[in-house]
Amino acid sequence: MLGLLVKDLRIALTRKFALLIILVIALIMGTSMEGPFIIGYVTMIALMLAVGTIIYDEMDNGYDFMMTMPLTRKTYVREKYLFCLLSALVAWLVGAILTCAAYIIRQNASALLEDIPISLVLIPVLFILPAVMIPLQLKLGAERSRIATYIIFGFIAGLIFMGKKLLDESDLPAKIEPALNSFPPVAVVVAITAFGLLVAFISYLCSVRIMMKKEF
Amino acid sequence: MVIIDNLVKNYGGFRLNVSMEIPNGTVTGIIGKNGAGKTTIIKAILGLIRPDEGHVTTNGKETSGLSSADKAGIGVALSDSGFNRFFDLKDVICILRKMYPTFDEDFFRKNCAAQGLAIDKKLKDYSTGMHAKLRVLVALSHKSKLLIMDEPTAGLDVEARNEILDMLRQYLSDNEDCSILLTSHISSDIESLCDDIYLIHEGKIVLHEDTDTVLSDYAILKVNEDDYEKLDKSYILSTKKENFGYVCFTNEKQFYVDNYPDIVIENGKIDDLILMMTGGK
Repeated sequence: MLGLLVKDLRIALTRKFALLIILVIALIMGTSMEGPFIIGYVTMIALMLAVGTIIYDEMDNGYDFMMTMPLTRKTYVREKYLFCLLSALVAWLVGAILTCAAYIIRQNASALLEDIPISLVLIPVLFILPAVMIPLQLKLGAERSRIATYIIFGFIAGLIFMGKKLLDESDLPAKIEPALNSFPPVAVVVAITAFGLLVAFISYLCSVRIMMKKEF
Repeated sequence: MVIIDNLVKNYGGFRLNVSMEIPNGTVTGIIGKNGAGKTTIIKAILGLIRPDEGHVTTNGKETSGLSSADKAGIGVALSDSGFNRFFDLKDVICILRKMYPTFDEDFFRKNCAAQGLAIDKKLKDYSTGMHAKLRVLVALSHKSKLLIMDEPTAGLDVEARNEILDMLRQYLSDNEDCSILLTSHISSDIESLCDDIYLIHEGKIVLHEDTDTVLSDYAILKVNEDDYEKLDKSYILSTKKENFGYVCFTNEKQFYVDNYPDIVIENGKIDDLILMMTGGK
């Protein structure tokens, strides 16, 4: 497992220049935008880069050799989810530091205590991205999974758009808003985290199944 | 050490059906034309593919159930797969150090330097020969008792090939109980390294013989049409029609040397074995 984590970290470091550009963009956004948007941006980019390591593993028949090394297929899948989680945590921390700096520059430090802890919920929400992409990439490979990802996220975006349109036309939001507002923020965070964990677990089981069936 | 018992694997119209054994302390070669099934056998031993029928065991364990510790004892060099091309040797060393508890970093660094593998150069900038040397050195770097080498010298010039073969010979002399399974198109590699040879053709093993026996007892007979009619064909394995008459392949050279002193008899070579056993009638 440790060897795989080192491998993925080394892959990530081969893209030092891209990481630097992302950090610069994040800094510019952080100083020019209100709210903790920067945390979500950095975390999402980190998750995409972490999932992208699968493409590097697959490159030039890399799986064949990798699967002869001292690891099992299950370990490989576990490591991918762990690497994504670690990347998300580190990116969240970097985003939080940048946000702190931006808030202090804008002399808005009092908002930090409210915005930063609540932005932790971004990790389980954004983890849906690797939860969808990891099994797809393992099953379909880099090229075909990219198309499948566009279709799936396009479908999700379409559903959200349709749902929003329907809600706008009905009086349902007005009816349920008081009920939603009555939930304590902690309960909402716990519910979202539990949902994220459930999605990740289902995704993990799918990935293990795909990997166990895979031939190289 | 490795036992393949009635392994069957189907790929569309291709069917592999083989049984073979790699005992402890031997160097076994698999030869055959492209598409004969050599790499499929290697992949089955390494658990990269699932057999449709039969069993493949390494040290008594089914290869599909090999643990990480079992895999750490196998050194592998595949012909078209290795470390990511964006890595350099420092990355490779870091990964090997964490992957293999028995990784011998001194050995690896020393041999990489001796083979001219630059430590700071990205693998994508390595030549074909450098890639091949690196693959073999990685396989040798963690004191494995079993080495699986798929075409380790394919596409290399004579000098690079010899250097790789020398590395393998040195490893064998340092680890006498080590077993090696080697596939190759290059007959001289097999002749100089292997104790026994499996010849595979269209998914089946058509011959299994000790290398020394092939070199001493197998022969090519060149005969005209009249001599061919008179020839005792009891020990002829394969015959091919040529302009001058027939080329016959035998595993009883001495019989023809004693009984047919006038015909042309040439010592058998691995190349002849492949050509005659997979192409003759």
